[in-house]
Amino acid sequence: MLNYDFKWSILWTDPYGGWILEGVATTIKLGVLCCIFSMLLGIVIGTLRITQFKPLRIFAEAYTEFFRDIPLLVQLFFWYFAVPSLLPENMRTWVYQEIPDFEFWIVVVGLSLYSSSRVAEQIRAGINSISPDQFNAALSTGFSHYQAYRYIIIPLAIRLVIPPLTTEILTIFKNTALAMTVGVLETTFMSQQVEAYTFHGLEATTAACLIYMIITLIVVGAMGRIEKRLAVPGLIIRKGANS
Amino acid sequence: MIEIINVSKWFGELKVLDNVKETINKGQVVVICGPSGSGKSTLLKSLNGLEPFQEGDIRVDGISLNDPKTNFIKLRQKMGMVFQRFELYPHMKVIENITIAPTKVLNQSKSQAGKKAMELLERVGIPEQADKYPGNLSGGQQQRVAIARALAMEPDIMLFDEPTSALDPEMIKEVLDVMVDLAQSGMTMAVVTHEMGFAKEVADEIIFMDEGRIIERGTDKSFFENPESERLKEFLRKILI
Amino acid sequence: MNFEWQVISNNFFFLMGGLVTTFELALIAIAGGLTLGILVGMGRLSKFKFIYYPATLFVNLMRTQPLILVIFWFYFLVPLIIGRPIGGFTSAVIAFTIFEASYFAEIIRAGIQSISKGQMEAAYSSGFTYWQAMRYFIIPQALKNMMPSLITQAVVVFQDTSLAYVIGLREFLRSANIVDAREMRSVELYLFVGLVYFIVCFSMSRICKKLELKKGYA
Repeated sequence: MLNYDFKWSILWTDPYGGWILEGVATTIKLGVLCCIFSMLLGIVIGTLRITQFKPLRIFAEAYTEFFRDIPLLVQLFFWYFAVPSLLPENMRTWVYQEIPDFEFWIVVVGLSLYSSSRVAEQIRAGINSISPDQFNAALSTGFSHYQAYRYIIIPLAIRLVIPPLTTEILTIFKNTALAMTVGVLETTFMSQQVEAYTFHGLEATTAACLIYMIITLIVVGAMGRIEKRLAVPGLIIRKGANS
Repeated sequence: MIEIINVSKWFGELKVLDNVKETINKGQVVVICGPSGSGKSTLLKSLNGLEPFQEGDIRVDGISLNDPKTNFIKLRQKMGMVFQRFELYPHMKVIENITIAPTKVLNQSKSQAGKKAMELLERVGIPEQADKYPGNLSGGQQQRVAIARALAMEPDIMLFDEPTSALDPEMIKEVLDVMVDLAQSGMTMAVVTHEMGFAKEVADEIIFMDEGRIIERGTDKSFFENPESERLKEFLRKILI
Repeated sequence: MNFEWQVISNNFFFLMGGLVTTFELALIAIAGGLTLGILVGMGRLSKFKFIYYPATLFVNLMRTQPLILVIFWFYFLVPLIIGRPIGGFTSAVIAFTIFEASYFAEIIRAGIQSISKGQMEAAYSSGFTYWQAMRYFIIPQALKNMMPSLITQAVVVFQDTSLAYVIGLREFLRSANIVDAREMRSVELYLFVGLVYFIVCFSMSRICKKLELKKGYA
C-alpha cells in the first residue's frame, strides 16, 4: 500500500459534508421524478405491446427496442448537447442559460424515456404470464371484457410485476448517477467535487457508495412491504420460476 | 337447448372444426372424447363464444351466436365453465373467487352471495377451505372450487373442459363425484373428458371426435361394446387399459 | 439547421479508434466478468458457509452500486494498492470485471438452479461423481438455458463501457465528445454514435431471440 493518509473527517468538514447532503437531495428528487414518469409511460407502452391493433403494437415494440439498444449515456448526451443545437443560436444560449435547472430536467426526460422502455418490458411480461384461460374463466362467469380486466387481470398483473418493478426502481436510482456527466449536482457529482477540492477521492467515493446502499435498502424495504401486503399465497412467480 | 349446426373453424390454414352437428337437450349429459388436437376443447369453447367460428351456427335456447345482437355477456351467465387448469383467481380467497361474479355481474349483496357460496362449498364438500387462497389447496380441491364458482351464477348449462386431466390420480374421484352428483340433479352438461367410467355412469350420449370431425356417437352400450370406426377402436384400446 | 455529415468522414479514423477501444474494453470485461462470475455464482450455491456468505455479500453489495461510482472507486483505489498510478484503461478493466462479475454470477446461479434435482440424482444413481455430473450433465444443460441471459448481459456490458468516459478513457463516446468540442456538430456525432451502438446491440438481441425460440422448441 502506498502511504495514503485516510482522512475520513473531511466528510463532516464544512463545506464538504453539506455538498454531499445536497447531492443526496438531488439524487432523491431525480430518482423519484424519473420513477413516476417512467412507470406511467411504461404502463402505456407495455399495454400497447400486447394490443390487438398492429400499428400501435409495432410502434411500442420499436420504442422499447430503440431505447434499450443505445447506452443511456449516449442518450443523455443526445438530449443535452444535440437537441438544443438544433435550435437557432440565440435560443440555444437562452435554453442553456435561462431555463432553471436545464440539465436536471433534461436528465428527467432522458432517464424517464429510457427507463419507461424497461418498465414496459416488465409490464408486458407480467400480463403475458397470465394464461389466456384465466381471462376466459372470467368471461365464462359473465364478466364483460372491461370487468374481466378491472377485477381479475389487472389486480393480478400488478401483483406479478411488483418484484421486477422493484429492480427497475433500483436501476433508476443507480442510473441517476449518470446525471453528473451533464453537470447535475447529485451525489456522485458532489463526491467527485469533494475529491477535486481535497484530493480525498477514496473517502468521498466510499461515502457515496454507502449512500446508494442506503437508498437501495430503503427502496427494497418499502417495496417488500407492498409486496407482502399484496402477496398471492401459494403462488410463486419469481423471475424465471417457471421457465 | 344447444344446437350446433354445421360448424367449421380454421386456425389459418388448419381446419380445426369440420362441419360439426350436434344437439344437446335440456337435462342431457354429453361427453366429448377424442385424441389431443381433435378439436374437442375448441368445440366446447365455441359454445359460449370464447372461440369464434367461421361457418355454421350455434344456437343456445334459440339464440344464435352469429346474430350481431346477441349479448354474449348475458349468454355466458347462463353457461358455467370449468377449465383444465382450474383458472381460479390466485389473488383472491376461495370465497371471493365464488362471490365476485355474483356481486359484480348480478349485483347481489356481499352477504347474499357469501351465503350462497358457502352452500355451494358444502355441496362440493370443502366448506372449511373458504378463507384459504387457491395456491394453498390441492388440485382436486381447486377444481371443486372452480365448479362452485361456475355454479354460483346459477347456470342452466355447465361446460367442462378436461376437468380431471391436470389432477393426480387420487384426486380425480373427488371431482368426478361432484360432477356425477351434478348430472344426477338434472344439470345440462357438456363434458370433454377421457374418464370413461364417468361417461358410462351418467352420459346420455358420447361423441368421439378426431381431426375436427365427429367420427362416431352413441349411448354408452353401443359406444363401448360395438365401436364401428377403426380410430375409435384404437382410441378405446389406448385409454381403457 | 443543416446537417454536415462530413464531420463523420473527416474524423472517421479517430472515431473508429474509439470504437476499437470500446470493443477491447467490452471483450476483456465480458471474459473477465464471466470467469469471475462463474466462480462467484458457484460460490453462491456452495454449502460451505465461508464460501457462500462472502460470495453473496459481494453480489448484493455490487448490485446496490451505480457502475459509474464503482469506476471512480477503483480509479482511486487501485493506484493505492499497487503503489503507482495506472492508466484509465487498466483501471476500467478492473472495475468492469469486478462489477459485471456480480451480474454474471446471478445468471450462472439461476442457470444451475434451473436444472432439476432429479438430473443430479439420476447422474449419482448411475455412478457419476459430483464433478462428473456437473461436467457432463448439469453445466452443459445450464449453459444452454443461460445462453440468452448471458448474451443479453454481454450487450449490457458493451453499452456499459461508455461509462468509462468519466475517467477520461478515449472510448467511442469520449472520441465523439472530443470531436464535438472541436467541430460543434453534436447532432451528427451523437446520432452516429447512437446508430453504431444500436446496430451492434440490435443484432445481438436478434441472435438472442433466435436462441430463445430454439430453446423453446428443444
